[in-house]
Amino acid sequence: MRVPPLVAQGLSVAYGNRVVLDDVSLTLEAGTLTALVGANGAGKSTLLHLLQGRLIPSAGMVACDGMPIQSCRDRVVLMPQRGRIDWSFPITVREFVALGAMGNSSFGCCDREAALQRVGLESLATRRLDALSGGQQQRALLARTLVQPSRVLLLDEPCAAIDPPSRGQLIALMRQLADAGQTLLVSNHDWGSALDLYDRVIVLDGRVVADGAPQQVRSMLGSNLAVQESFHE
Amino acid sequence: MSELDLWLVPLLMALLIGVLCPITGTLLVTQRRVLQANLISHAVLPGVAIAVAFGVDPAIGGVLSGLLGSLAAERMQRGQPAGQEAVINTVLAGFLGLGVLLIPVLNIRLDLEALLFGDLLIVDWSDLYRVLVAAAAMALLLLTRYRQLVFLGVDPEGAQASGLPVRGLQLVQALVTSMVIVSAMAAVGVILVIGLLCAPVLPGLWRVKSLRAAMLQSALVGLGLSAVGFLLAVPLNLPPGPLIGVVCMVLLCLPNLRPANSG
Repeated sequence: MRVPPLVAQGLSVAYGNRVVLDDVSLTLEAGTLTALVGANGAGKSTLLHLLQGRLIPSAGMVACDGMPIQSCRDRVVLMPQRGRIDWSFPITVREFVALGAMGNSSFGCCDREAALQRVGLESLATRRLDALSGGQQQRALLARTLVQPSRVLLLDEPCAAIDPPSRGQLIALMRQLADAGQTLLVSNHDWGSALDLYDRVIVLDGRVVADGAPQQVRSMLGSNLAVQESFHE
Repeated sequence: MSELDLWLVPLLMALLIGVLCPITGTLLVTQRRVLQANLISHAVLPGVAIAVAFGVDPAIGGVLSGLLGSLAAERMQRGQPAGQEAVINTVLAGFLGLGVLLIPVLNIRLDLEALLFGDLLIVDWSDLYRVLVAAAAMALLLLTRYRQLVFLGVDPEGAQASGLPVRGLQLVQALVTSMVIVSAMAAVGVILVIGLLCAPVLPGLWRVKSLRAAMLQSALVGLGLSAVGFLLAVPLNLPPGPLIGVVCMVLLCLPNLRPANSG
């Protein structure tokens, strides 16, 4: 039996008296594209940081390939939210993507040039990072993530603050990666038809509210207006 | 000191800090740590006072004191996410005040005006050697850690997640910054040095495509500013340090050195 690349069991986190995550469990199978959907403050980023081993839960455990995440943190790569990057830093797209390989003796699914090609930025490789559009910047960030060797990619709101065509391109790209065998967990706010491109949708609101195929989750939450409305806040 | 030394040493000093300060400043500006440099420059005073009192090289006391100020501010910033600038400025004032108080308490003689604003015309070879030592430290940092510094500037959290020793790197950078500031102290003083750290970096920063190019460009601009300030000071019979500070500010007013859409 194949061991799933990422398993989380009973994760709980509290800041003081405020419970951010309560008993969250999930298993990510290899080669799947999973959406982690939830409103602001639902605990999405906290969960991603737990899954990458950068945060220690107050209860529960995370395992990658059957091993505790703390002993194999380099196998799970987190693509940060765009607000964490200084886009005005003097750097070319090519040099930015190459940073992903720093500290690693090998490349991820592709080397720098292949990653640029994969996200469709090879013709813009010599441009400054801040000369790109928001969608192109997100693709550059994804390319940097791709050169890191990993079993699981965690993407923190990659579709935030970019126009719909760029969003479509990015999701299609993630779909291709999953089809090629990569395991992806993508947090977002989107409750629209784009969710149909995912294999699975996990709805988070401090705990797992729903988990299943997109259509299945929609019908599960069809009558729960409170949850749906929270996405539009 | 020979007649040649009288002019050569201050000129060499002006040109050397005109290159070294902007290179250091490029790291600080792109990492948005200029305020930390301002803190370090003011925090050197207590260390200088104590070093003078105990007969130690003031530069050593200044570097350690500047580093201590930086570490103290960093420590006090924890748990104050909204008030980080306020903490830095408070520590800056505290260290400066402590330095001023130590002068009468330790019963030492210290030319506060020269320390704060420098006097380029009285620098000697030992001041020049200090700049060379600081330049060597900066060169070593850049030669061995350039890409790490780039990563730290563009995405500090990502750099940490990639396993880079971010904390250690920031500490070494603060140490080298302290060395640069203290070495430039004799020429332009701890207050005016901020002008040379920042102003040469800004023109064209929006245009260059790498940190290396930004450093090279700022070094050339800094060299020009220092030369202009020094050469103007002689015929005008004005102190070069403050004049360099003013020239730095004037540079920012030149419209063709800013991006076209900046208004």
